[in-house]
Amino acid sequence: MSKLSSVQRSLITAVCIGLCVVLPIMFHSIPNAGTVISPMHIPVLLSGLVCGWSFGLLCGLAGPLLSSLLTGMPPLVYLPSMLVELATYGLVCGLMFNLIFTKKLYADLYLSLVTALLAGRIVAGLAKAFLFTPGNYTWAAWITSYFITLWPGLVIQLTLVPAIVAALLKAKLIPPRYPRK
Amino acid sequence: MNTLPAGQYRPGDSPLHRLDARIKMLCFLLLMTTVLRASSLWGYTLALAAVLAFLRLSRLPLRAAVAPIRGLGWFLLAVFLMNALFFPGEDILAAGKFFHPTQSGIKQGFRVTANVLFLLILGNLLTMTTLPTQVTAALLSLLQPLRLLGVPTGEVAMIISLALQFIPALMEETELIKMAQLARGARFDSKKLPERAVSYLPLVVPVFIAAFRRAEALALAMEARGYRNAENRTKSPKEPLRPQDYAALTVCTLIFLVQFFLPR
Repeated sequence: MSKLSSVQRSLITAVCIGLCVVLPIMFHSIPNAGTVISPMHIPVLLSGLVCGWSFGLLCGLAGPLLSSLLTGMPPLVYLPSMLVELATYGLVCGLMFNLIFTKKLYADLYLSLVTALLAGRIVAGLAKAFLFTPGNYTWAAWITSYFITLWPGLVIQLTLVPAIVAALLKAKLIPPRYPRK
Repeated sequence: MNTLPAGQYRPGDSPLHRLDARIKMLCFLLLMTTVLRASSLWGYTLALAAVLAFLRLSRLPLRAAVAPIRGLGWFLLAVFLMNALFFPGEDILAAGKFFHPTQSGIKQGFRVTANVLFLLILGNLLTMTTLPTQVTAALLSLLQPLRLLGVPTGEVAMIISLALQFIPALMEETELIKMAQLARGARFDSKKLPERAVSYLPLVVPVFIAAFRRAEALALAMEARGYRNAENRTKSPKEPLRPQDYAALTVCTLIFLVQFFLPR
């Protein structure tokens, strides 16, 4: 496989959006898994990495929206801030992965992921502070909600996403970033 | 796992079921804005009346329509108490060592709880009375103006409709992988939460591999049949709006306007 075609990108994005609905249902039996493990973040980050920023952005917008409409997870009250956060993840992850070329796959992956996870949290915090709950949002609330409560999710995303990319490469389902000569 | 927790479509022939999906989505957006805009007792009475009217129009069993809020009782009570006891304000009702309930805190707690309740019921009513395919078609129609900004709305709608069709297959696939892991000794029913959470993590990589295989197979099939992009696809003609659709939109716009001009 040399490069993903437009149809392949569309279909991979479609399955990632589908997984945004299915993964939270899968983790449903664990109390607070949606908040702490954040399973919906994984397909959005992966879609940005594999298909590019535009598809990542679409997955970040459509995934939580469909999941909320079909399963009530996340509840509509939290949907706007999640849309902003996940759309930024998909967008920044795709942009960074297209810009960074260190000749080492895992360095590219981790740099893109860490930048996207930070950018998403900053943008969602700003959106909450200035748009959704103006005047009622504090630094302490931002640090607590996005870094202290969600640290297991961060660790899981940083561990699982590269593992999934490696597995997809091994199964030849995505083209290699640095083909061996 | 085989059923969606809440908001799953329930077939019916109520006025809300028959309403055009595009108009229904616009009406719900207007009603949700009406709820979020409410700030006085009159405002919340109007929002409550609108929610109750839609509940009645949906002809859904009350138990099913309020399903998403049934498990949230303690959470909502905690939200109300947190606001009532800790919200800063001058109008202190009783000064305690740790708690200082204020009148503005009680109002804020009521606002937050009522907003969550009303929005959950409205969202549930929308999804219980609209087929997912109708939601996609309505989204495509409502996204049309984005074409002016260069957004490929046909491609977006195609991806969303494929995603909707993938969901049951992906759920089935996930269930199969879960059974395989169970056979290997995974403890999904462990009483220890960390153990249960850890047993779910090995499912994620195989689920992604299976999902990507499905995507690759379908992409191959579509390309082999000459599919190139969604913009050139033939589309079924849009159904014209009926008088009842216009009436519903007018009523919701009026409710929204009344809320907008009510004194805050």
